[in-house]
Amino acid sequence: MATAQDQAQAFVAGLAASSGSASLAEAGRQALADLPVPTRKSERWKYSPLTPMLVNPVRTAPAPAGWPEDVPTNPIPGLDAYRIVLLNGQVVPEACDLPVADGVVCMSLSQAYSEGRIGEGDEDWSAYHTREWVGAVHAAYAQDGLFLSLENGVVLDRPVLVHHHATGENVASCPRHRVEVGANAHAEVVLWSSAPEGASGMVNAVLEAKVGAGARLGVDKIQHEQGAVFQLAHEHVTQDKDSTFRIHTVTVQGHWVRNELNVLQHGSGSHTVMHGAYLPKGQEHVDNHTTMDHTVPHCTSSELYKGIWYDRSTGVFNGKVFVREDAQQTNAYQQNANIVADAGASINAKPELEIYADDVKCSHGCTVGQFDEEALFYLKSRGIAERAARALMVQAFIGDVLEGFGQVEVAQEVEGLLAQRHGWM
Amino acid sequence: MAYDGEDKILEEVTGKAYEFGFTTDIDSDKAPAGLNEDIIRLISAKKNEPGWLLEWRLKAFETWQAMVEPEWPHLQYEKPDFQAISYYAAPKQKKELASLDEVDPELRKTMDKLGISLEEQKRLSGVAVDFVMDSVSVATSFKDKLAELGIIFCSMSEAVQEHPELVQKYLGSVVPVRDNFYAALNSAVFTDGSFCYIPKGVKCPMELSTYFRINESGTGQFERTLVIADESSYVSYLEGCTAPQRDENQLHAAVVELIALDAAEIKYSTVQNWYPGDEKGKGGVFNFVTKRGICHTRSKISWTQVETGSAVTWKYPSCVLKGDDSVGEFYSVAVTNNMQQADTGTKMIHLGKRTRSTIISKGISAGKSQNSYRGLVQIMPNADHARNFSQCDSLLMTDRCGAHTFPYIETKNPTAQVEHEATTSKIGEDQIFYCLQRGIDEEQAISLIVNGYAKEVLNKLPMEFAVEAQKLLAISLEGSVG
Amino acid sequence: MLTINNLHARVEDTPILKGLNLEIGPGEVHAIMGPNGSGKSTLASVLAGREDYEVTAGSVDFDGTDLLELDASDRAREGLFLAFQYPVEIPGVSNLNFMKAAVNAKREHQGLEPIAAKDFLAMVKEKAALVELDGRLRDRSVNEGFSGGEKKRNEIFQMAMLEPKLAVLDETDSGLDIDALRIVSEGVNAMRNAGRSFLVITHYQRLLDHIVPDFVHVLSDGQIVKSGPKELALELEAKGYDWIKEPVA
Repeated sequence: MATAQDQAQAFVAGLAASSGSASLAEAGRQALADLPVPTRKSERWKYSPLTPMLVNPVRTAPAPAGWPEDVPTNPIPGLDAYRIVLLNGQVVPEACDLPVADGVVCMSLSQAYSEGRIGEGDEDWSAYHTREWVGAVHAAYAQDGLFLSLENGVVLDRPVLVHHHATGENVASCPRHRVEVGANAHAEVVLWSSAPEGASGMVNAVLEAKVGAGARLGVDKIQHEQGAVFQLAHEHVTQDKDSTFRIHTVTVQGHWVRNELNVLQHGSGSHTVMHGAYLPKGQEHVDNHTTMDHTVPHCTSSELYKGIWYDRSTGVFNGKVFVREDAQQTNAYQQNANIVADAGASINAKPELEIYADDVKCSHGCTVGQFDEEALFYLKSRGIAERAARALMVQAFIGDVLEGFGQVEVAQEVEGLLAQRHGWM
Repeated sequence: MAYDGEDKILEEVTGKAYEFGFTTDIDSDKAPAGLNEDIIRLISAKKNEPGWLLEWRLKAFETWQAMVEPEWPHLQYEKPDFQAISYYAAPKQKKELASLDEVDPELRKTMDKLGISLEEQKRLSGVAVDFVMDSVSVATSFKDKLAELGIIFCSMSEAVQEHPELVQKYLGSVVPVRDNFYAALNSAVFTDGSFCYIPKGVKCPMELSTYFRINESGTGQFERTLVIADESSYVSYLEGCTAPQRDENQLHAAVVELIALDAAEIKYSTVQNWYPGDEKGKGGVFNFVTKRGICHTRSKISWTQVETGSAVTWKYPSCVLKGDDSVGEFYSVAVTNNMQQADTGTKMIHLGKRTRSTIISKGISAGKSQNSYRGLVQIMPNADHARNFSQCDSLLMTDRCGAHTFPYIETKNPTAQVEHEATTSKIGEDQIFYCLQRGIDEEQAISLIVNGYAKEVLNKLPMEFAVEAQKLLAISLEGSVG
Repeated sequence: MLTINNLHARVEDTPILKGLNLEIGPGEVHAIMGPNGSGKSTLASVLAGREDYEVTAGSVDFDGTDLLELDASDRAREGLFLAFQYPVEIPGVSNLNFMKAAVNAKREHQGLEPIAAKDFLAMVKEKAALVELDGRLRDRSVNEGFSGGEKKRNEIFQMAMLEPKLAVLDETDSGLDIDALRIVSEGVNAMRNAGRSFLVITHYQRLLDHIVPDFVHVLSDGQIVKSGPKELALELEAKGYDWIKEPVA
């Protein structure tokens, strides 16, 4: 019987070399041999082993011959945004609409490389490939993505939509994005991933971002993939002083999703908001891993993740908050609430705190429960039918997570999709 | 809140210890260092054990040899050399005495220094004491009184001889040999511990207690305790540990198994003050303990502990809530100071319906210590309407210590309700000043505030332990303000 | 009882008290009024011994003892009591235990044995009645879940238990409704005697209708700029603080 390592080798054997940085790709390939494949034996992957994904070896999709006609490049009605679109990890230039303005560099990552905008030694900010097998795969086979850089003080007038669409059977895509927001600048990004019925394989996406002093970066991240795609999405964000980073992660639909969000504050006075919602059905699996690292004093963070588990879905919430020795006067808050709607759903939660400073206020809470039957009855007693009553309660439950989306159009579209999916209409 | 001068941790116990009930000097009979099949046969032979138990030990040893010592990311310590430890040391037995009055005054002096005055206890609180020293049970009083009720409370060695059917039935039924590395080791080499059996419907009228003491240098201690509460019975069991100051690390790998049959209740309290190592972290006891209870229908097991010692602690008292409507509770105050490291917590496994568990963990970190809580709440598919509430708080006393929480919540049942909360705080300067302005000095103020913080847990302890626990908290936090 | 001579104090690098002089005799009630920022709370904190405040010049004599030489808990044991403006909460520590510790600390300082349980409970009952602090509140953790009024009453209860020589009341009336004000004042008045002095710090004249002072002082920019009998408070009420700020010698 093949070992996990053997299976992993076969899994990636058919992938084309990275179209990005050669040195990063080399480092990734080396690491692939050394790093353990994420199976049940790995502490960080024990609830989300990748063994089912490794069963079918994957291939790189050929260069796209244009954007599929039946898929809107901008799936969010009413959203006026710049856009960059990718099909299976590769940019489709004719379908993009990139900003041209002073102090704004917004292009594909491959163009940024060819224009020499990414210096040697600066290709990687997260060292993800040195820690995790999944990161090594990404580095070795990285493809294209968004390159966004704002100079000091620049406020982007419209959000940038990054739409990744995965098609085909057993296709692997490794989109890679880089965002740099200069001091006192402001950018909003919408990350939207989709896939049609029949799609399968792996999407291994990495976003690296630097938020400068006094700057603001907001991200609305929506996962809406049909088919049987394994999505591994990794965000790595560092914040300078007095900056604000906000991200909303909503998994509307996805066969198997693992989100890894890492935020590190290295400048005082910064603030981080991380909201997430997930409502898996069928036998879907959603895993949210977050790491909030407070390394300097006087910073705040607020994390709220809520989920409803239907049918026989499974999943994980693992939220780590680090407060390092010098991070005095940190105020960190984390809350994870889960409702198990049906028998057969299974969830694992691990809200972790590692505190090394004493003058801090940190709290976290985690609950697992059911819909309040009393409240349900109250609604019904006022003439609201069962189905509508449940819908109201779900909306109430995840309502506060959906607040604060960067783009109201995104929030509306997400609510609409969820309503459709879960029969709230 | 006056301390009456007993300073168990820091006092050097001089001279040799005497086995209770015997006079004259006692030499220790120590096995050569090392662990192999011969040593195990030696231990079993010295204790005159029946064949089935020797077989059980040998199989455990085989299992242990195939296991790997666990790695814990938050604990750093020099691994004990298992071949350098002597696994058996028993004071030689000479004569028998008829009553407590004939106890050697030297022996009594030793026990007084340890703060365990048997006379006192006998007179005031009626607590029966099973005094374990150097791997062999030394004192067992009140046996007769308990015997009237059918309660068996004796050393494990004695239980093997007198009640082998009970031991054979329950030994390893809650903590199987291959459960973990230290449990396997313990199963192979345990030399003694306590055995307790409460018959159906009997409420044990007094608190049963056991003291442990490691005396000889280089001896690990491997107690094995088994408490069986038959249907509808009740017992409150106290475990308190002391150890003298030593330079080299001492290993403590105990196993405690509790069985609460239908509608029974077991209350297990521990106040522990192993020598924690000096400010530089040298010396001190390594404490790796596996404690688990199994609850049958409508039964209840409560673990209450105050931990203030050990250089390194690895301990997760757990409850398997097998029977419907059973209840598991865990109340803990864990203090770490100087360079101590603690990785402790609990596991509540919900198997039966309508099972409930409560976890209240209060960590206090001072000095440069690291205090980690690791808990598991597991709701299995058939555990309909299971309920859990966990509150894990950390109090940080200095700016160089660490407090960490790693709760694992695994639910596989849709009707479960799990609630987990954790907060971190420090003692506020305003609170200290408030006390100062009322004439209370800083050390006392901290002691007040810390005890207030830990009150919820301390209230669960039997009264005499609560007093000892408060003293312990104060002693262990002396000089920790910073 | 208390002689403050040319007291200068600052917090971080900001000077707040700039040469304050005050003399309080035994049995006297002195009121200190002044606009925000004048240094009222600083004075209270400095007297109580709060370490955030640095005394840069001057002296304070408390009944023959150099007060500034003592640390906060020793000042308290010598008989100085501060009723805080914002009393802090101490969860898990019951009011009674807290008071017992404080009472015994004082007794130890005086060379006495710790108080017997019976006597302590009798004392608690007597003093609690002065401020209508019922059993329910007494059994709770210090100030935990107390309303503003209850916290202030708790301060006066503690003062009654500790029987200080000098009680400094730091804006005890702030946030109190009429009833709470009445109860707190009655408690204070019940404690007045020839051997006990009070320094009442307040922003509003209203409190002084209930706790009638022997002397009123006005604090402005870190110094006492005007002193007078109780009528001075009424004059201030009518004319406002700006009236005082005009000619300062």
